[in-house]
Amino acid sequence: MSGYSLLAPALAGCGQDGFTGALRVTGTPGGTVHFRDGLVVAAESPGAPGPEALLLRSGRISAEQWAGLVEEAGGTEWPVAELVAHGHAGDATLRVVCVMALHDAVFAMSAGIVEDWRRTLGDTDPFAPVEVTETTERLLQDTARRIAAVERLPHPVHPDRERPLPVGKPENPLTPLQYDLLTHADGRSTARDLAFRTGRSVYTVTVEVARMLADELLECAPEPPPVRIRTPPAGVRPRVRERPRPPEPAPAPAPPALPETPPTPDTLPRREPGASGIADVLAPERSAAGWKWFFRLRNGSAG
Amino acid sequence: MNHEALAREMRGLRDQVTGLTDTAVGTADGLLIAADTADCIEPEGLAALAAAGLGLARRTAHAAQRGTLRRTVAYGSQGVTALYAVGDSALMVVLGDEGMDLDQLHRAATGAVRRIETILTSPHKATEGV
Repeated sequence: MSGYSLLAPALAGCGQDGFTGALRVTGTPGGTVHFRDGLVVAAESPGAPGPEALLLRSGRISAEQWAGLVEEAGGTEWPVAELVAHGHAGDATLRVVCVMALHDAVFAMSAGIVEDWRRTLGDTDPFAPVEVTETTERLLQDTARRIAAVERLPHPVHPDRERPLPVGKPENPLTPLQYDLLTHADGRSTARDLAFRTGRSVYTVTVEVARMLADELLECAPEPPPVRIRTPPAGVRPRVRERPRPPEPAPAPAPPALPETPPTPDTLPRREPGASGIADVLAPERSAAGWKWFFRLRNGSAG
Repeated sequence: MNHEALAREMRGLRDQVTGLTDTAVGTADGLLIAADTADCIEPEGLAALAAAGLGLARRTAHAAQRGTLRRTVAYGSQGVTALYAVGDSALMVVLGDEGMDLDQLHRAATGAVRRIETILTSPHKATEGV
């Protein structure tokens, strides 16, 4: 896990300089760490589920409910007040989720490959900042502890490398996490993928996958499932481009009942109000007398 | 068509882009050519839907005078479906979870699409499935 050795000095430097802005880390999975006056307020990475994924994928809230809350909050990406007001999560729970997502993103970046990093001053406000900001010293200590813990396991797993498969039927009762991982492990998903699918932190899932590999509940497939390929019977032919049809020569006298083929439009279609006639079908029938009454009322001659 | 080379490109894209979960390649009229997809996804239907979606997006871009279609991306609450035209004859479907970095995908897919187009149009004998 080499990313940590490159990321640690970059994070420490931002803390020492009292940096305000974003530290953008390129690599696999890479990510962004947001600083305010040298303290870390948020971090996100494609390698770790963010607060929204943790809430949605864990089943604490449905996608429809989430969309409703975001709309109620005026389109914000992290509708804290609405989540609390509707009883989906407590204020303390949401704070914990944000801190967990921050630490998890830094772990994922550190466990991966760090190619480069750069500081960006013009940082937009992160959508789910932590209320109690983190010092870089504490964040680095925690990250180093996590990386060492994963490496010390009897069957060390990289969050983005092994793609485990379940082994037979387990004999002993399973924890909810083990059950979830056995359900979703398909030989295609890494610990990171399983973390997203189950709505749990990537560190937790990585450790559990390593334990389950050691306990022979999971195994690493020797070969990935094959890519299924077949050549289409007619080969791969270029798409037939749609062109306006050329004007047809004047036909011999044809029966007038046959409709003409409409030409392929080159411009956006224009809709004529009432063209479909649907309003005539759906609207209740109104008598002419009703409209006369309306005009009389408007002209002051009703009654 | 070189099956090994096509499988390598699809696998390579998945290894390169964090969060990319599935890929499929189909003809422009919706016939499946290759699938690197999970069992829960029906690749034939996906290829057919992708052809319809890409065709609609292409016509919309043309009618709205937005130039040549580059790609179309559909966002769901649990991830992303990205459709790329592979030249004039084929298409590629990419599925990713909500963590997938789309900028990284687009950078990686640009080269992959070009190479897949070459593979699809080059004559080569190979066995079914790789």
